[in-house]
Amino acid sequence: MAQQIVLGQYVPGSSPLHKLDPRTKLITAIVMMILILSSYKVTSLAVLGVFVLTLIWLSKLKFSLIIRTIRPILILLIFAFFFNLFSGSGEVLFSVSFITIRLDGLINAFIITFRLIMLVLATSILITLTTTPTLIADSIERLLSPLKIVRFPVHEIAMMMSIALRFVPTLLDEMQKIMKAQSSRGADYDTGSALRRARGFVSILVPLFVSAFRRADDLATAMESRCYRGGKGRTRLKIMEFSYRDLIFSLFVIVVSTAVYILPLVFPAD
Amino acid sequence: MNVYSEAESTLNSERVLLRDVSYTYDIGLPQETLALTDINIDIRAGQHIAVLGHNGSGKSTLAHIINALLLPQRGTLSFFGCEPSNEDSIWEIRRRSGLVLQNPDNQIIGTTLEEDVAFGPENLGVPLPELRHRVDASLEKVGLLDLASRPPHTLSGGQKQKLAIAGILAMEPICLILDEATAMLDPYSRADFMDLVMRLSKERDLTVINITHNMEEALLADYIYVVYNSRIALHGTPADVFDQPAQLRRMGLDVPVHIEIAQQIADYTSMPLTKSEAFSCTGAAQSVHERLDFFFGSQENVDLDSFDSPAAQNLETEPGSLAAQNLEAEPDSNSPMNLGADPSLKSNDAELKQAPSTYDYQQISDPLSQNRKVLVEVKGLSYTYNPDLEQCVKALSDLSVDIYEGELLGLAGHSGSGKSTFVQHLNGLIRPEPGVVSVMGLDVHEKKNIRKVREHLGLLFQYPEQQLFEETVGADIAFGPKQMGLPPDVVEQRVKEAAELTGLDIKLLERSPFDLSGGQMRRVATAGILAMNPDILILDEPTAGLDPAGRDELLSYILRLQQRGQTIILISHDMDQLAGIADRILILKDGKKFALGTPAEVFSDEVSIRLAGLDMPNTKVFMETMQGWAPGLATDVFTPDDAAEALINEYRTRRQTWHSR
Repeated sequence: MAQQIVLGQYVPGSSPLHKLDPRTKLITAIVMMILILSSYKVTSLAVLGVFVLTLIWLSKLKFSLIIRTIRPILILLIFAFFFNLFSGSGEVLFSVSFITIRLDGLINAFIITFRLIMLVLATSILITLTTTPTLIADSIERLLSPLKIVRFPVHEIAMMMSIALRFVPTLLDEMQKIMKAQSSRGADYDTGSALRRARGFVSILVPLFVSAFRRADDLATAMESRCYRGGKGRTRLKIMEFSYRDLIFSLFVIVVSTAVYILPLVFPAD
Repeated sequence: MNVYSEAESTLNSERVLLRDVSYTYDIGLPQETLALTDINIDIRAGQHIAVLGHNGSGKSTLAHIINALLLPQRGTLSFFGCEPSNEDSIWEIRRRSGLVLQNPDNQIIGTTLEEDVAFGPENLGVPLPELRHRVDASLEKVGLLDLASRPPHTLSGGQKQKLAIAGILAMEPICLILDEATAMLDPYSRADFMDLVMRLSKERDLTVINITHNMEEALLADYIYVVYNSRIALHGTPADVFDQPAQLRRMGLDVPVHIEIAQQIADYTSMPLTKSEAFSCTGAAQSVHERLDFFFGSQENVDLDSFDSPAAQNLETEPGSLAAQNLEAEPDSNSPMNLGADPSLKSNDAELKQAPSTYDYQQISDPLSQNRKVLVEVKGLSYTYNPDLEQCVKALSDLSVDIYEGELLGLAGHSGSGKSTFVQHLNGLIRPEPGVVSVMGLDVHEKKNIRKVREHLGLLFQYPEQQLFEETVGADIAFGPKQMGLPPDVVEQRVKEAAELTGLDIKLLERSPFDLSGGQMRRVATAGILAMNPDILILDEPTAGLDPAGRDELLSYILRLQQRGQTIILISHDMDQLAGIADRILILKDGKKFALGTPAEVFSDEVSIRLAGLDMPNTKVFMETMQGWAPGLATDVFTPDDAAEALINEYRTRRQTWHSR
């Protein structure tokens, strides 16, 4: 039983953030995404940074655990940082042969990296780390339920999402196991020629797909055996309630959003 | 048409009835397979039924039919008076019968334990206060309530299967169908799981249908059906069914060790076993004694009066839990068995606490080390998973062991004892830190050595058939040697040799590995490792999930390899298997070396074996029971054949000593 915490995994807890209605968290996450993607000003980003820190505090999760969620996008971060670092058209800070670093490039590099980090942190703390996949799927189903009128298969899509998320850790474990097994047979994933590496990946993907199909088959049997017949007439163990907590949190989010838009106007420093 | 009719209860509403049920998959297609033919089964409410059968015998199809997941193509099913004739009755059958599948991971739907348990009753539309109550009560019943909000992938295999049971209980069923539910569990979890099933079936008056190829589980049943090639080949009480060991073996099954030995002695003395005589361990021991005693005409008087022969009563008493069955076989302290010889058997708590932490028999005497080449050297190895997290797991601590050329080292230990972590260190999948691992003089810590190390040391993972990926069997076996950069003709040679060693038909090399049966796929995977021609071969539970016939076949080629001088490390939960073929056994407990020695040494101290969370080999347990009749009998034999031979020799010698007096 590899008990590794993998990317985007729910961590059980009873923090204020865990107790929030998942719909509140989901909508907040969407709001956060919009805010982060539309803010370029340092002041706005500072407000968002403080908000993310508040979220970290509210989640009562270990900081090291939260930081781990950045690891998968590390390469993207580095790439984005350097790509921006060497671009720009402003004042030259530093220049050695073909490397030229300009002031606006440097600032942009930091801002881009910061925004990407905020994006990942906010969504993982709000959703994946503190909300079970089933609840995420449930809340999507409820938020989209008006679409049922136009015969949109809301329940089915939510169930598919929930199952997909449920099997992420299982399949990741399995992938690690298969990688180890194929490495023992001499498969190579990080050295050797491109062809050799490609063969290495085939040796992981084929067994992984075969196993996923087998699992899907078993799962369908298990679901039918437990009388699953679609969303009709189902009850729910977890009822979603918009409580005073959600009200306070929503007000807080509104204040933050307003601040993000207004502060740059008040302090047009840059 | 009733196969098993009883006068007292004839009401169909109190039984599960299958009449002339047949089922064929993919009718009309080339891959058409016959799964069930004219099956007649009659199960009364509250009964515990075992369905035995080799892999692919059709027994899983039977589970699906009873659960109304498949409808009989011919014949009828009546499930407690309910026939799957329309949609509503189909759902009613599924509601009242719960199915536990083999793979613990594939039947969990929820992302936390409580969400998963709630899935069934949610589908039934159970309203909230009642729903919450059912979820909590069911989780409590299986002992998982504390973990209610945990994600299921953090559970052990045994816990996952208990979760599956909780999910079924929450639907308030009357019948529990286990489709090889324990096949992927270790012996301890298996016994624990079956205990739970037995307890529940008693408390809730559940009908249990256990589909299995584990013979010990079958002993727990009230009635057994044996499915062979899609038909019911044999049925009766466990005593009836196990009275026919030859027939069972022909159907790819086996019999418990004590019956096997009793049968061999009965054959040797040409005095056939009478009905049910050898069903219990003590019964078998008595039958062996009587036959050999008569055969060799020994007059030596063993004090039989003081031995309360329980053979007869044992048949009446209900077979208890698996754990209890094992204990039952242990010498009773009132019996005249030679407890004096081995004081450790009289265990008590105080003694358990004083027990030494390591039973390294090799420190006292190590005849092997004198003249053998050391292939693998492990010194002071420690390893911790997730050291920077709260839930860090210390998987290995300060482990040192030498592995000699040509030996078969058995590796045993409870789940989570560090066996897999240990072998992954040997081929550099995990880098040793701290500690030293050197394979044939190559330090595994050096990254540049790892490739060479993996060529020297082949590691076959658990369920290796899941790693196959090439288009043909031949290409899959060739993958390893090709990666080693061998020339094509050598690769081809290696593939042929490996196929031959594992008993694969050369014709199969052109087929897709995914068309093969599970047992054959496992051979392909093994051949894939053998084709790399490793100096050291590590097999991680190679027989897990195989039926007895498949298991014996696999063991036979492991033995063949051993005879060729192949160094082998074999991980197994089956103590009889290990004791029967290993030269030395290393037992790990909580990541530490717990015992190391020859099978005779390691299993000389029962207290220590139990302390490590393992069982004694059944053969040895039987021989200890035999000591009640033959005091002084050597018990260090670990295969039924050796046991029978030892018993024959013992009784022959006793006869000779009596004569010479």
